[in-house]
Amino acid sequence: MIRATARWFASSVVLLFAVTVLTFLLSALAPGDAAKAMLSGQTTAYSPEQYHQLRHNLGLDQPLPVQYWHWLYRLLHGSLGTDLFSGQPITQAINSRLGASLSIIVGTVLVSAVVGLGIGIFSAVRGGLAGKLVNGLSLLGLAAPNFWLALVLVAWLAVQHQVFPATGYVPFGDDPVQWLRSLALPVITLSVGGSAFIARQTRDAMAEVLGRDFIVALRAHGLPLRSIVFKHALRNAAIPIVTLLGLMFVSLLGGTVLIEGIFAIPGLGQQAVTASSTHNLPMIEGVAFYFTVVVIVVNLLVDLSYRWLNPTVRPI
Amino acid sequence: MPHHKTASLATAAAVVTVLAACTTGGGTDATSSQPKPSGKVGDTLTVAYSSVPQTLDPAKTVQNNSLYQALAYEPLIVRRSDGTLAPGLATSWHYGGSDNTQLELQLRPGVKFADGSALTAQDVVDHFTYVVKAGGQFAPLFAGDGFTAAGPLTVVIKTPKPNPDLPTLLTQDDVVGGIISPLGLTNKAKLGTQTFGAGPYKLDPAQTVAGDHYTFVQNPNFYDKASVHWTKVVVRAITSAQATLNAMKTGQVQFAVGDASTLAAARQAGLTVSMTPLLWTGVTLADRDGTMAKPLTDVRVRQALNYATDRTAIATALFPDDGKPTSQLTVPGGYGYDASLDDAYPYDVTKAKQLLAAAGYPDGFTLKTVTAEYQSMNLVAQALAQQWKKVGVTLQIVDRANSNQYFSEAFGPKYPTFMTIFGQQPIWTEGPSLFLPTALFNPFHTKNAQLQSLYDQAAKATDAAKERADQQVEAWLVHQAWFVPVVATGLPYYATKKITGMAVSPKAPLASIYEVQPAA
Repeated sequence: MIRATARWFASSVVLLFAVTVLTFLLSALAPGDAAKAMLSGQTTAYSPEQYHQLRHNLGLDQPLPVQYWHWLYRLLHGSLGTDLFSGQPITQAINSRLGASLSIIVGTVLVSAVVGLGIGIFSAVRGGLAGKLVNGLSLLGLAAPNFWLALVLVAWLAVQHQVFPATGYVPFGDDPVQWLRSLALPVITLSVGGSAFIARQTRDAMAEVLGRDFIVALRAHGLPLRSIVFKHALRNAAIPIVTLLGLMFVSLLGGTVLIEGIFAIPGLGQQAVTASSTHNLPMIEGVAFYFTVVVIVVNLLVDLSYRWLNPTVRPI
Repeated sequence: MPHHKTASLATAAAVVTVLAACTTGGGTDATSSQPKPSGKVGDTLTVAYSSVPQTLDPAKTVQNNSLYQALAYEPLIVRRSDGTLAPGLATSWHYGGSDNTQLELQLRPGVKFADGSALTAQDVVDHFTYVVKAGGQFAPLFAGDGFTAAGPLTVVIKTPKPNPDLPTLLTQDDVVGGIISPLGLTNKAKLGTQTFGAGPYKLDPAQTVAGDHYTFVQNPNFYDKASVHWTKVVVRAITSAQATLNAMKTGQVQFAVGDASTLAAARQAGLTVSMTPLLWTGVTLADRDGTMAKPLTDVRVRQALNYATDRTAIATALFPDDGKPTSQLTVPGGYGYDASLDDAYPYDVTKAKQLLAAAGYPDGFTLKTVTAEYQSMNLVAQALAQQWKKVGVTLQIVDRANSNQYFSEAFGPKYPTFMTIFGQQPIWTEGPSLFLPTALFNPFHTKNAQLQSLYDQAAKATDAAKERADQQVEAWLVHQAWFVPVVATGLPYYATKKITGMAVSPKAPLASIYEVQPAA
């Protein structure tokens, strides 16, 4: 177990290092830099001297490895640096948005899992017309663009009936009820496609497991259907579904940008886009670092769930 | 005395738009900067603003974030919504001499910053020293100026060249008119995330999430408490125009900067809409010296492109709610506006062809332009390509979804022309940004002695002579066809019925947050 944990830790560190190096390189290779972004707000043309001075002040004139080392050095001392434009500590800026992003993502994954599993199991067990109906609904859910769905939901549930707020995010600590209300529309929007995806995967996996010999044997022994489905079949069908949920979680990290914009939610996606467009390298690196940590944690949880679902799976 | 405003729109590296307003008086001794205070104080005003501030530092911010600073940094001079200038931290001001090179300001006695320190003339000098050194977008407007504390509450500003618009640079519109306290200047690293002003409000960092919402609470030291209309002001950065409209419809927001794409829906929803013409959209024919496109050296070619433009058709098709065809670089009621130039280039294909033939291009030529996908600028380019085909000119459009790339290539310069959105502004500031050799929008650095002379005359002129001098500069630019202005549009503001005081005028087209009050 200790060796496995050490191996996991080492691979996580390597992954973190690789991602931050790659992010740094790609950002540095992109045309333009933060100095240009800052100076482009001027009404008059800026001089090359002004530009070079600002680059120097920001440390952008140093070789890339040196710039990266400075960033890494700060990281090893517990700091992700400061925002080039506002001077705000990166950790503080990201933490203020992490809650919104994680709330949406966790909410979406949970709702997608519950709804998708329910529909998928129902479809696999019942088959026939019910199964086809679920198939159709799943296709509809997958086909509906989430930005369109978001606008429809806002017009209907926020503007017309005022059930949920149209925009904004309320932290849990401020007001749990308002937190839940502020999450409702973005989570519903993202969960429609997610649920459809999980439902199809669940139905296929369950149908395959329900046809196996051991299920037939369990039925022959007279076990109730509920017990067969939830205790035996689902556990066997769960690994690909859990994998999918993990992938969904990871893809939502960067996939909520549009939804954040439509609902005016202060999430990390918008932060990443703004930082990229202004070449705010410390912020880009900070967001990439956080994303990678979340990916590592999610992968760990998925791996652990594999072991729980099927103890024959090799340790991590 | 003229008053101007610079606004950067679009993205962080925004299109520069400079607005204008003027007044005929120097300072008065009015005790309040707020016109007609109702005496009523509302609980919370929530405002939606379409831009996300990268920093709260007044010296480094771009103009379209001005609201974030205006609430906390009281300016030396306040610009009212009717365009007039009113006392702020300065109770009076006047030019010394006759060449608009020396401005003296008398500061309001007894003013304290939100941090409790008292305002002195030396604070104002230190503030502008920092503004110039910080190198933000307004630094060039003050570069070379001398700032002197001539007394405890007397500041003298000397400019190396005539500057008829100096008072307008000291208003809330130009951000840096709002003075930073000595405490702020000794903690410059904090200026990006906190406020250190003497304005009616101060930022509450505990109730603020950078990039999302900024909460301002009353400043207990503000010199004119009677003019403070709200207990709290929350400014939400909402970049989506549709989300802004939805937030207004559901009452989450009471006041917002709107967008042309939601204008009709806002009116339909019963919101109060205020706007006045502000920006012109068109083409900058930048390569007038023929470095990349030789035909552009001939004024007849540039005029032909103006005649070949059916402005009414484009305004009707692309800007049905607020577009006005225009041949000028200003708007009705704006600086240098001359009604007789409204129809300087009527749509006339025959005349355009004649001019092209006379210039030696009877079969037309090929011209490249670069555009961003912002405020329908790219759609205007496509419409022009269709229209100019009729006179044989092939407009090849390079469409950049990445606005930073557009800026880089337009101002590079990588193309002989570029699509442009520009705000009307006083000539003194329009020159260095639009048409003088160092202007950002003159990337080939075209020089013209006659234009320079007209500009210099306008800078020295005062009162009625100034208006005429401004018109002469604008007329020269129209007749020499350095640009192809197509359509003038405004910046809409939306308000719910719960507030009042939202007003704009031709020379103050950006609404003043100071005047927004609870409805009776």
